[in-house]
Amino acid sequence: MIRHLFTLIWNRKRANFLLIAEIFFAFVVLFVLGSLLVDNYRKYTAPLGFTYDHVWMVDLDPNGQPVGKQDANFTRLIQHLRAMPGVRNVERTRSNTPFSFSDSQTELEVGGKATSTDIYYVGDDMHNVLGLQLAEGRWFDRRDEAATRQPVVITPETRRVLFANGPAVGKVLHTSDEELLVVGVLATPFRGRGEFQEIAPAIFHRSIALVSPTDSVNFDRPKLLIRVQPTATAELEQRLNKEITAVTGGWKSTVATLDEERTVRMKFALTPMVGMMLVCGFLIVNVALGLFGVLWYNINQRRAEIGLRRAIGATGSAISGQFLGEVMVVTTFGLVLGLAVAAQFPLLGVMSIRPPVYLVAMLLATVLIYVLTALCALYPSRLAAGILPAVALREE
Amino acid sequence: MLLSYLKIAWKVLLRRRFFTFISLFGISFTLMILLVVYAFYDHTVGPHAPEKKIDRLLFINRMQVTYKEGGQNNGTASYSFLERYVRPLRTPQLISISTYFGSTAAYVGNQKLDVDLKYTDGQFWQVLDFDFLEGRPYTIREVKEAAHVAVINERTSREYFGAVRGVVGRTLETDRVRYRIIGVVKDVPGMRFNSYADMWVPISTGSSDAKDPSYFGNCLAILLARMPAEVPQVEAEFQRVMAHVPVPDPKEQERVNAHASPILPSLVRWFNNNSGPDDGVGALLSKVLALTLLFMLLPALNLVNVNVSRILERSSEIGVRKAFGATTGTLVRQFLVENVFLTMLGGLLGLALAGLILQLIDSSGLIPYSTLTLNWRIFAGGLLLSLVFGVLSGVYPAYKMSKLNAVQALKAR
Repeated sequence: MIRHLFTLIWNRKRANFLLIAEIFFAFVVLFVLGSLLVDNYRKYTAPLGFTYDHVWMVDLDPNGQPVGKQDANFTRLIQHLRAMPGVRNVERTRSNTPFSFSDSQTELEVGGKATSTDIYYVGDDMHNVLGLQLAEGRWFDRRDEAATRQPVVITPETRRVLFANGPAVGKVLHTSDEELLVVGVLATPFRGRGEFQEIAPAIFHRSIALVSPTDSVNFDRPKLLIRVQPTATAELEQRLNKEITAVTGGWKSTVATLDEERTVRMKFALTPMVGMMLVCGFLIVNVALGLFGVLWYNINQRRAEIGLRRAIGATGSAISGQFLGEVMVVTTFGLVLGLAVAAQFPLLGVMSIRPPVYLVAMLLATVLIYVLTALCALYPSRLAAGILPAVALREE
Repeated sequence: MLLSYLKIAWKVLLRRRFFTFISLFGISFTLMILLVVYAFYDHTVGPHAPEKKIDRLLFINRMQVTYKEGGQNNGTASYSFLERYVRPLRTPQLISISTYFGSTAAYVGNQKLDVDLKYTDGQFWQVLDFDFLEGRPYTIREVKEAAHVAVINERTSREYFGAVRGVVGRTLETDRVRYRIIGVVKDVPGMRFNSYADMWVPISTGSSDAKDPSYFGNCLAILLARMPAEVPQVEAEFQRVMAHVPVPDPKEQERVNAHASPILPSLVRWFNNNSGPDDGVGALLSKVLALTLLFMLLPALNLVNVNVSRILERSSEIGVRKAFGATTGTLVRQFLVENVFLTMLGGLLGLALAGLILQLIDSSGLIPYSTLTLNWRIFAGGLLLSLVFGVLSGVYPAYKMSKLNAVQALKAR
């Protein structure tokens, strides 16, 4: 029966060519969109690694103050802010705060294994500000002041890449210009660029002075992360701004909550995704309508054939089964072509997505296309089943 | 002749309503999506307030220093660099130097109000054409005297003073600096980031230092050419100046790159972080064209499919016409006219839908201060797209129709 259907379609391949082409393109569109969505869903459901509620970010502008004076002012400012009512924890950081559009990366090397990693320069209290959980070792603190090697805390992903299953705490990592001592490993990945960031190696470096003793040209703008009481309002923000100007002698400050920053980041990630989904949704509806129309028309064209089959004893369900089967075979032709193209994506690494995601997307797109064509064929084939042989043959 | 073709087309459309619906749905939504994309493009680089003279404007907003051993620094130019190397240019009619907007905080009672502040010179208001609701811009003299005067946009006026009218002469304090308001302008779309801000104040009241030795800073220059045809001359003059700019560190650095370019190339350079000799517009346009064609392919295929079915339905009509001596050319022409008529109809629908969607995007506040509207450029774009789409989807069915054998077509009845 199925062989027979294949022969039927194969013989009419010129007539069915357009349908096959349409199904092929619809599949490719669904597959590409599906890969992106599945990949983003996977990222979205992975742990973020920190808490952002009631955390504020303060961007400071020294307003032209001499670089030499900035460090002392910055340290004094942090002490003052810690003492303010309504403030829980205050800690210094660099420009790559969570959800910001700024990142900082470095190359790490240990025992022949190398990786590129995100690097965050943060102060001793940052694990409390961001709610970071440690799985092994400890967070860095005052004891590390005199350490010859700068202490770092690494994420599980960094550990997996560099040490596989071996011990990590106490090991020494090399960057191009310094040696780092691993003092702790976090319990979760850290994804500073938000929910849609790929899980990648990251390390926390104990914050050093704004002006590095070895580099007099490059220096960073001071930035703070503050965990505030859950009851904090704009009133606290105003007090913070006043305090900052007073303590530092005229620095400018901009306060934003991490929640706001996250919303911006989300908007940037979601807007193109929603746009693409709408466009693809339209394309698919369009294809479905077209398919429906063409099938309906084709069945009307073949009334005589249907009448004849009914006259020599075929049941209604056999007729609708034949039409449904024919559509499924046409779909299969289109899908085989589509799958051949889709298979090139993981092979050529087109979209830098992990291969399992492609497989899921292929499966989803295949199922969706079959369901879609089946739905489009259902009504016309029901119509075909209802054709009365006497009427159809008399028309002939 | 054309009229009778259109009449036939109309009758055919009315005959099979469902097929007509499918065709129109596909065409109108495809064109709607393309028109919305085009409206975004027009919104970003078309002539809109305050950049109304867009065909005469050039922007210098990227700086690059390359190193001898490879590697480069990219950023925006400093005030001192622009004053030294851009201000003396002779070909532009006017030159304006300003900072990029930066976020500042104003307080209304205990409520914080984010105010994006931009420091500009006095020429800024002559180069660009802001729509003033009230008051006036500050003058070159006021900038020289570092007067604490400001022009604000409608939103800031409404949220800070609670009114759009009658705020001239009042003071606004942001980041602890007090400014006297001298003008209120209409909101500038956030996408126009070269001119966008909530509040514009004289550059002399900020921390921009004309003696700063660094080439990098946070400023940009906007040049106004005397006429559109002189834009390449301005570009060339700036390139001649750039060729002689000394590098800050001759031991390690190789050269300094910057370009004065019209809005589209300057935007493309901005997003690609590119200061090389090629502005990348050609590559981008060909990519966009390829994507557009790819996107139109599926609806076009669909339309072809539906059209082929409809043509076969009309085989008896075609057979009769052929039998009475209609040539293949006549029939193909007739069918193309019918199809273009159909797509034009869909195009009009698409235009209406696009207008609706744009209004929806504007009112949703997805893009700050966006004023996406339909205009004649978009309308013309829509017509052109409908035509392309109509021909694209009409050629194959018309060819198929012309191949129909008259005898067989008539016998089948």
